[in-house]
Amino acid sequence: MSEKKLIVGIADMKLGQNGEKLITYALGSCIGICLYDSQIKLAALIHIMLPLNMEAGRKNTFKYADTGIRETLRQMEIRGARRMGITAKIAGGAKMFAVSGGIIGSVGQRNSESVHQVLKREGIRLAWEDVGGTVARTMEFDSATGNGTIRSYGHPEIKF
Amino acid sequence: MDIKNYSDLNGLEIDTLREIGSIGTGNAATALSQMLGKEVRITLPEVRIMGYNEAIDWIGGPETITAGVLTQLGGEINGIMLSVQQLDFINLVLTDMLGNPVKEFNQLQEMQISTLVEVGNIMISTFINALSGLADISISLTVPAFAVDMQGAILTVPMAAYGGQSDYIMTIGGNFICEGKQVPCRILLSPDIRSLNFLLRKLGVMDE
Repeated sequence: MSEKKLIVGIADMKLGQNGEKLITYALGSCIGICLYDSQIKLAALIHIMLPLNMEAGRKNTFKYADTGIRETLRQMEIRGARRMGITAKIAGGAKMFAVSGGIIGSVGQRNSESVHQVLKREGIRLAWEDVGGTVARTMEFDSATGNGTIRSYGHPEIKF
Repeated sequence: MDIKNYSDLNGLEIDTLREIGSIGTGNAATALSQMLGKEVRITLPEVRIMGYNEAIDWIGGPETITAGVLTQLGGEINGIMLSVQQLDFINLVLTDMLGNPVKEFNQLQEMQISTLVEVGNIMISTFINALSGLADISISLTVPAFAVDMQGAILTVPMAAYGGQSDYIMTIGGNFICEGKQVPCRILLSPDIRSLNFLLRKLGVMDE
């Protein structure tokens, strides 16, 4: 039985509802952010690449943690989600190469810090996280339950 | 006039970058050939300007496990060079140089890893030496770093490094052919925009 999954690309976001499954592949220093309103079973998965949107004109909303999370919350609220009921689960922010300093050495951690800060400012409770480390993660999220899985190379699957 | 995005490059500029790719990859092929003791040729080098998700498709999907050797360029040019090595390439190298191939990436021992890093590093260094001679610029390289993981996550390293400047990734590189068979290894140069402008001006294809 093949089951349809909505694929979330890099710098992308998708909403899923009533049992639709969302997946994003190979999060390295990027972070996957699952937002969920259990009342209406509305799920969102965002794949951000960088911490803060400082581009002129603020295009490419979902490339950045700050604009990505805010735009997703806005779209969820349009679909009937209540801010109070939304929880977040996040994964990623790894350091793929052992390089000290510079953007390559620090972007994963900065992404993680930015996601934490933006969630806090927006009043979203962080229910679960698996960030940092040195391995890539594929993240799957089920809108029926608000739960999901993390797959990594050479590591057992994690359920969240 | 300076370009602000990779997609602003005109035909002449792309041709020049392809020529750099040709010379760089050609030199890397010669180095690889000497290390393996086998003839290594190159296919037509490519200059690609791709959206993030397009680049992941192009390299062969996000979850395929590959080894990556990464160095950062400094001096007059900033950028990242990656040697992306698939399992068949790794076994070609290991069989010829150490005599013991592996079935899976997770069987790699320290000795084999340091051989792969060195092979990647030599290919990258010869590429960069050729570029530096051609454009008469000095380029330094950092100590190479190594990772085995999903190639989608490896390729997002240069994307994230220049993601604040561009929605595209530019790669200059080529494929190798050893004894008539395609070798699944790529070397990719991703310069930042400022360095790209500098390089094209140095090579005389961009007006002041």
